[in-house]
Amino acid sequence: MSKTPLLEIEDLCARVEDKEIIKGFNLTINEGEVHALMGPNGAGKSTLSNVLCGKKGYEVTGGSVRFKGKDLLSMSPEDRAREGIFLSMQYPVEIPGVPTSTFLKHAVNAIRKYHNLPELDTMEFLKMVREEGRKLGVDSEMIKRPLNVGFSGGEKKRLEILQMSILKPSFAIMDEVDSGLDIDALKVVSEGVNALRDGKFSMLVITHYQRLLNYVVPDFVHVYADGHIVKSGNKDLALELEEKGYAEFVKEK
Amino acid sequence: MSSLLQKIPLIGKEIPWLNDVRQKGAEAFAKTGVPTAKTEAWKYTKPRELCGDDFVIKQSKKDSDWKADLPFEAYQIRFENGYFCPQESTLPQGVEVVPLIEAMLFHPEVWKHLCKMADINKYPFAALNQSYLNEGVYIRIEKNVELKKPLVIISHTTPGEENLFFNLHNLIVLEENAAATLVEYHTWSGEVKSRYFANLVNEIYLSAGAHLEHIKVQAEAFKANHVALSVVAANKDSEYKSFCLQRGANIGRNETLVKLQESGACAEVNAAYIMNGWATLDTTTDIEHLSAQTTSHQLVKGVIGGDAKGVFQGKIHIAPNAVKTEGNQLHKALLLSNTAEVDVKPELEIFADDVKCSHGAASGELDEDQLFYMRSRGIGLEEARQILIDAYLEDVIGKIKHEGIRNWVEKEAK
Repeated sequence: MSKTPLLEIEDLCARVEDKEIIKGFNLTINEGEVHALMGPNGAGKSTLSNVLCGKKGYEVTGGSVRFKGKDLLSMSPEDRAREGIFLSMQYPVEIPGVPTSTFLKHAVNAIRKYHNLPELDTMEFLKMVREEGRKLGVDSEMIKRPLNVGFSGGEKKRLEILQMSILKPSFAIMDEVDSGLDIDALKVVSEGVNALRDGKFSMLVITHYQRLLNYVVPDFVHVYADGHIVKSGNKDLALELEEKGYAEFVKEK
Repeated sequence: MSSLLQKIPLIGKEIPWLNDVRQKGAEAFAKTGVPTAKTEAWKYTKPRELCGDDFVIKQSKKDSDWKADLPFEAYQIRFENGYFCPQESTLPQGVEVVPLIEAMLFHPEVWKHLCKMADINKYPFAALNQSYLNEGVYIRIEKNVELKKPLVIISHTTPGEENLFFNLHNLIVLEENAAATLVEYHTWSGEVKSRYFANLVNEIYLSAGAHLEHIKVQAEAFKANHVALSVVAANKDSEYKSFCLQRGANIGRNETLVKLQESGACAEVNAAYIMNGWATLDTTTDIEHLSAQTTSHQLVKGVIGGDAKGVFQGKIHIAPNAVKTEGNQLHKALLLSNTAEVDVKPELEIFADDVKCSHGAASGELDEDQLFYMRSRGIGLEEARQILIDAYLEDVIGKIKHEGIRNWVEKEAK
């Protein structure tokens, strides 16, 4: 059975100001696959997710990234999202003055418009948010509050997953989704993530710890150090890392 | 001399005492002239540009079938190109709305306040306005009457071939314990063939216990000049609560002078301005605490793009006897481009002990992380910027009490 490549990263190099952070990164993710990227602090994990999503301040100095066969790096951040990439951020941004529901409605309709679908009216939109929100314990009180303002760590992450479930991306980058979560919140978030796995939806899970991978079981695990992948394996590699730490990979440098 | 001061036949020119009032205005303006960059009160707003053209004062009114489409119920008073247009609207008991010229001739009680509230030697454009004293409206709300629907004064201009200059002068008197909501809407339609200059004065007298919410939207054509002065006298336990949105004109100045002259009087003077291109929008306030236990709050927020310039001059004056007073002022500006400019001059003049006073100013840019977060969810850059701008102005517009007007202002601010 041939696999359909979704994201193809070839020899990617990128820097922030004058500092090379990503140094020849290669990874192909096919439809339906879940890849975990593990690595020590400072390996450039967040830089990778920011480069893939087009954040300002990162300069790509070499290599290419194709998403569904299209050149990803030439797209604006919003077009990347509209094409189906979702970045669940380690620290979701607080936006005072913007009710969560207003923000969500703008996002849903921006993506629908891009795909020539009719925009949802307020009733249709609220119905969808209520249904998806129920599964994640996000109630209508929470979405009336300003976006992420005063939300606990767990609430912020649940809202990230809610966004993912209503925006229906084909590929998600989960950047340290487990940081700041207690075990109960981790379960809720993981269940939310797993509910999206339909055989086509793919993910890149970026994490320090193996803990999350007990709940969101990856097909592949990669060790990321000093700007590129230094080792790849299956889920057992994560367990090995948990035991031995990253010392041997960092030393290689 | 400036083309702004012209001899035109005004109604009642044969009446010596009325002529005298106008003459005093003309003399005061002739003495000061158009303010220059050296005039302290005008140093940031280039007044020369206000007067650089040959302005024409139209001497006949032209009717227009333009209609204001306001999304809230209101009593409407309309001016077309600076002339009063009678409206069919039945006013409730206890409210009087009279064209200014009629009030000057037949309601002698107006002279208790009219042209008495501002020192024309200090306000050159108010002096100029007085020299043409003719058009405007006198509004009186009787003792204990609470007006349910807002009163809206619309000034609508259709720019023609010539550079039109017009003056409006309104006198608003609220008697003891009266309450009302007043809206001023300055707008235009047609083609921008010419500049025009609207020079406006409001005199507002609040008797003891009166409450006025005063909302203004300045949405003039982009080539227009708009200079407005509102002078408010607030007596015992009265409340003046105002909000002004400026989003039009090439040069727009909204100046508010509030005299808190008896104890318990309070004022809230809020404003927002949104601008692009080469516009200069000026918000100038002067809050005079003249009596003990008076309070004032000011929140002014600006959104400045292009090569535009925002000006905020805010003065709080506390007289020697005005103890136990409170005066707060905060100005914030959001700069959308590298060439946008903001000039801020806060001034506190405190001559009393035992007062609480504060002022603050801040300026910043749109937050890149917030923009990126929204874009990473598929929201386009322009839409994301607009969401943040709306959020920035939300707290100041949110201070408008009347819900229908607040929703309207939110839309006008986009």
